[in-house]
Amino acid sequence: MSQFEPKIVAFFCNWCTYGAADLAGVSRLDYPPNFRVVRLPCTGRLNPKYILEAFKLGADGVWVSGCHPGDCHYISGNYYARRKFVLLHHMLEAIGLEPGRLNFSWISSAEATKFQEVAKDVVEKVRACGPNINFRKAELELGLSEVA
Amino acid sequence: MAEYIVKENALRAFFQALAQERRLLAPVRVGGKLQMAEARPEEVTLDYGNTHQSPKSAFFPQTERLMAFHKDTAQSDPFVYKPLGLDKITPTVLFGLRPCDAQGLAICDQVFQNDRFTDPYWKTKYESSIKIGLACDQPGPACFCTAVGGSPYGEAGLDALAAVKDAGLALKAITEAGAEFLKKLPGLESGAAESELAERRKAVESKMPGPLDQAKVAAGAILDIFNQPHWKDTADRCLNCGTCTFVCPTCHCFDIQDEQNDKGGVRMRNWDTCMSWLYTVHGTGHNPRPTKTERMRQRFLHKLKYIPLKQNGQSGCIGCGRCVTLCPVNIDIREVAKQMNG
Amino acid sequence: MMSLEEISQKIQASAKRLLAEGRAEVVIGYRRGTTPLTVAPHFARTAEDCDQLVWSSFAKINLATYLPKYPGKVALVAKGCDARSAVGQVVENQVLRENLYIIGVACNGMVDVERILAGEPRPAFEATEDQATIKLSGEGWITSLAREEVLRRNCRVCVSRTPSATADEVIGDQTEPLSADDFADLKELAGRSPADKLAYFKGLVKECLRCYACRNACPLCYCPVCFVDETRPQWLGKSQDEMDTFTFHVLRAFHCAGRCTSCGACETACPMDIKLREFNRVLESEVQKDWQYTPGLTWDQKPPLTTYRPDDEAEFIK
Repeated sequence: MSQFEPKIVAFFCNWCTYGAADLAGVSRLDYPPNFRVVRLPCTGRLNPKYILEAFKLGADGVWVSGCHPGDCHYISGNYYARRKFVLLHHMLEAIGLEPGRLNFSWISSAEATKFQEVAKDVVEKVRACGPNINFRKAELELGLSEVA
Repeated sequence: MAEYIVKENALRAFFQALAQERRLLAPVRVGGKLQMAEARPEEVTLDYGNTHQSPKSAFFPQTERLMAFHKDTAQSDPFVYKPLGLDKITPTVLFGLRPCDAQGLAICDQVFQNDRFTDPYWKTKYESSIKIGLACDQPGPACFCTAVGGSPYGEAGLDALAAVKDAGLALKAITEAGAEFLKKLPGLESGAAESELAERRKAVESKMPGPLDQAKVAAGAILDIFNQPHWKDTADRCLNCGTCTFVCPTCHCFDIQDEQNDKGGVRMRNWDTCMSWLYTVHGTGHNPRPTKTERMRQRFLHKLKYIPLKQNGQSGCIGCGRCVTLCPVNIDIREVAKQMNG
Repeated sequence: MMSLEEISQKIQASAKRLLAEGRAEVVIGYRRGTTPLTVAPHFARTAEDCDQLVWSSFAKINLATYLPKYPGKVALVAKGCDARSAVGQVVENQVLRENLYIIGVACNGMVDVERILAGEPRPAFEATEDQATIKLSGEGWITSLAREEVLRRNCRVCVSRTPSATADEVIGDQTEPLSADDFADLKELAGRSPADKLAYFKGLVKECLRCYACRNACPLCYCPVCFVDETRPQWLGKSQDEMDTFTFHVLRAFHCAGRCTSCGACETACPMDIKLREFNRVLESEVQKDWQYTPGLTWDQKPPLTTYRPDDEAEFIK
């Protein structure tokens, strides 16, 4: 049987991790293709509801990545984001999200190799969690037999 | 009409007979609360004030799938909505409806099927059901059915009415359908119930509040009541939370939503509440009921003015008292009705 | 100990004085309810209105809910948690401090009416109370309950029963906290499997009707448009879908992170008696642990999510 290929929604800051992904590509560094990137102006822009929405729509994992603390393009956006992530990470795992589904990292636009490493790591962690069953919305019951 | 006595030792057999005949909905404990829900014969209780929520969800569930379509273009009918569930109605018997709630269902019935319109989803469930009431001997502090034209022994909307007698039941049929249904039940013994029910009705009614004077509301122009100054005072403390509408046996507003995925889509209706900002907001962003004052007023006008106008003077409030009990800020419809009439 | 009647009289006197002095246009307090075991929020604008103000063990709704965006000067009859919420609203710039006068009342905790009623199947037509007992009576029966035993759960772990630090005046004898929340149950739960945790939290909201009474009763929920009412995009489906309901509760709690004062208004308002505060407690414990922060105790504190320290720890971020 082929191994489970997770679908991951990645929220990347425009000024750093998004650039790192670009650099990794230009540098021909191999990384797994399991994530779809949503570009944010800053991780401070990330509303917790985006993460829950991603899980609700069936994402197996979420990966949020931004600038190293101190390097925010907007001076302090990721400092605020960090506090938010602390609570969100704690809360979601406290109410039953499997550890490993929700991942955070700081990757600057120069760190293509770190991007490659973290990408591999995130995908493996989510893969280990298996398909997201508990945090996704139930499949729509069409009752097609009734329709037909 | 036929009259029966069910002795205490025959109760279980009576409920078993009901459950054998049809899907039995009766007052049972669900998660610590007494609710009108699908019940096994041995679970049915006779000792209760009223169910926590109104029984309207038996015919008008909070979420109801109405129709669905598929997107399989290989078939001949992709993207065509087809009705759901109408052919799969299980005939139901409701036992233990309080007369106030039965009256409430009758009011909803007028909304869902009348001379202009018939809602098939309501009609197929409501009309095929048998509704057996259980008269109320211990009205609670928030009960006022007698104030709005009802009675703890009322018969409106019921096919049969029972009352607890010597830990058993005194039972009488009210409609043809009820008589027909009871006649078919195995092991049901005939016995005089009518006179006892009438006597006890008088005794319980005498303990309850007298009629609420709504003459001025009935005669007054809508606009005058609309502009009464007391609305602002009540609205001050209203939280606009919508609890009253969700527990009300006659609140029947719904919102239709479509949901879809890559295979197809479903159209469903969900309970809605006029307390919500979203209820009236337009596509333009304009909201004709912009603050909680207008939204709260709408509910009381609907219950006490619009429904009586459309249903021959029948009050839209049936006095079950659920909104009075569950309102977190104690907005009491009895007080508001008096102010409207004042 | 000051009796409930004395406290009520003092509230009435203060309210009259504040209205007469022009310090407030309205005094928001409680008046007797129309059914036993209830009180109604009361907006007193005249001296006669003030005569109806009472203090009671059933004053469980949080009156600070009415403050945000209220035009003009308001005096608020506040127990400890109400005052904390009002302070939070001032800190968050929803209420002007100069427009607010807090009549603090030393609170002995409010009683859990749902629990009392669940334990008493006979219809009660009257309830009377003093500082120690609640007496319930119906047709031919009377029973009395020790007040201490039917306190709400959040009142047992309240850290600020008397708002002496923030109120403009305090009525009643200073009351002391019973004990702080040790979150023992949450710690125990943290050791269990994700599936167990999820089953517990999903189980809590199984009966949710999505009426949003919890949101409307919450003094912190003042957004002009709530995320559940947003339509473009629509974040939550309107049906009884389990995940939509669950997501609502997670996000509702998250919006109150570092702000919730455990006033219990959400649980009080819930028609299905859902233990909504359990979601908030998960965050409360973390906020206390990471930033030693308790909301609403002083006028100059900053909610933890509106500030930061460059050396905040977050080891889980790679």
